[in-house]
Amino acid sequence: MIEIKQPIIEVRDLVVEYKSHPLPVRALDAVDFTASADETVGFVGESGSGKSTLAMALGGVSRSGVRPSRGSVQTFGRDVFALRGQDRRRFLSEDIGFVFQNPIGSLDPTRRIGHQFFTPDGQPLNEKRVEELLSSVGLEDTGRIMASFPHEVSGGMAQRVCIAMAISVNPPLLIADEPTAALDASVKTQILDLLTELRARARSTLILVSHDLHSVRKYCDRVCVMYGGRIVEAGPSRDVFDCPRHPYTAALLRSIPGFEGPGGRIEPIPGYPPSLNGQASNCTFAPRCALQIPVCRENRPPVSVEGDRTKCCWLPGNEIGMEISQAGRGYHA
Amino acid sequence: MSIEATMKFFVRLRRAMLSDTVSAVAAVVLVLILLISIFGPFLPIGKPDQIGFGPRLGGWSWSAPMGTDQLGRSVLARVLQGIRVTFVLSTVSVAIAGLAGALVGISATYFHRLADEVASRTADIMFAFPPILLGFLVVAIFRPGVTSAMAVIALITFPTMLRVVRASTLSVMRRDFMLVAEISGVSFVDRIFRHLLPNVANVIVVQTIYSISLGMLIESSLSFLGLGVQPPAASLGSLLRDGATYLEIAPWLSVGPGIILALSIMSINLVGDATRSFVDPTYRF
Repeated sequence: MIEIKQPIIEVRDLVVEYKSHPLPVRALDAVDFTASADETVGFVGESGSGKSTLAMALGGVSRSGVRPSRGSVQTFGRDVFALRGQDRRRFLSEDIGFVFQNPIGSLDPTRRIGHQFFTPDGQPLNEKRVEELLSSVGLEDTGRIMASFPHEVSGGMAQRVCIAMAISVNPPLLIADEPTAALDASVKTQILDLLTELRARARSTLILVSHDLHSVRKYCDRVCVMYGGRIVEAGPSRDVFDCPRHPYTAALLRSIPGFEGPGGRIEPIPGYPPSLNGQASNCTFAPRCALQIPVCRENRPPVSVEGDRTKCCWLPGNEIGMEISQAGRGYHA
Repeated sequence: MSIEATMKFFVRLRRAMLSDTVSAVAAVVLVLILLISIFGPFLPIGKPDQIGFGPRLGGWSWSAPMGTDQLGRSVLARVLQGIRVTFVLSTVSVAIAGLAGALVGISATYFHRLADEVASRTADIMFAFPPILLGFLVVAIFRPGVTSAMAVIALITFPTMLRVVRASTLSVMRRDFMLVAEISGVSFVDRIFRHLLPNVANVIVVQTIYSISLGMLIESSLSFLGLGVQPPAASLGSLLRDGATYLEIAPWLSVGPGIILALSIMSINLVGDATRSFVDPTYRF
């Protein structure tokens, strides 16, 4: 767990389980996390590691309506899962902006784009303000876009519209859940530049969920590497990617083009992600870890803090040594 | 709806019709059938229950273009009455079933898992009854007639509507734009009326149109078996039953109602196809 001055988000021992047969799927397993104002935090990890669930939990929302079975999420000093009725509505509409992965799916297909902007009270936003917002995210010909249905604009334009909707009330917290996953490479950089520029301008906090490690390294101040519903490593993004301390982070970096180093090879992580039924009593990465020791398979690893970095592993950082640090050598930002 | 919006609606409708010739022809045929049936009582073709209007089992004539039946009644007049009865009966029943199915489908899915389970299992039970057996059961309870026929049509089309609306509601509920609306501060009621309903409306409209053709078939089947509309009133099914008795010596008694029934059902189905693309904005051009 990273301790930061004046945190605006405090997640303590958070457990979120999705109903499943015969056992529930534990998407988040005792997660601790904090974030302060005016920073960008990235969540990375394989699919199913709990990144999106954690990002959504920061706002107290969930696609399937699931609630935490343990722990708490305090965002701006409020227990987000305890908020009800008007309090919850105001909190969501005034304090948080969400940007989702699929921009076309984030817009109502039956309504024209100009009619999808709302005030915190849920009333339609006036046309002039909508035009201003669309211009602020770099869209031209705002009149035509406002009169268009979502399927009539490109993916990049739709994502800009979604960002405009998310920032319509200048929220102090912006959560972007894989905002560039459905976009091509040229638009991806534009969108991420736009998000970080808007964040810096408003001095707000940006939570960026992504599979793209290069983007996270470039745009995020800190990164949380997630595996099996836990944050296995966290710290300043450049430090974590240049010198990973958890075997999973190193394996993840080795499996992605651009981190392999001169003459190096991309190495897929062997094995499969863990099944998340119930609380893990050991290290869930152990079956795939080349550096595992007997205790990894027997006991749950503790969270160790060293300076501004944390990791959740039985292996001390210096014992992992060269094996892990190899992963960061080839990367040139 | 403003005048401008109304104009746009009709421009879009005309464009949709012109782009799909088959559906346009089907719509014209359907409208013609309905118009002729509505204005039937004002045409000089005799009254549907006018015995001795012409000779018994008489063939084609200017005053009775479809011939006459075993009691000398004008077959065309009876066919036009049959269309009105079959169409109105089926439409009203389907509208009731559609409204109920849509309401139960949306509310059960959106509000509570237990309500959803109860609604789904009820639909399963209703699906388990073969339509004709259900018809016998209802008729045994309420006696043959218009009410029984309507009840049977409603009971048969309700579970399908429920299932279709439920599936659509479930799919729309999980779309990101519903979550975005919630996060944007849109109230629960507004989320249902502004976002959920418009997105399931196309499914409701299309399913209702298909159900009307199904309802016409059910009504005709019931009347053919003598369980639906009772004499002297005519429906397309009862006309087919009467005609079946004289099929070898007076085939025009069956051919007219048969062709009209087949044309109506085919036209409704084709119009249903075209309506889908018309009401769904992602199909607009």
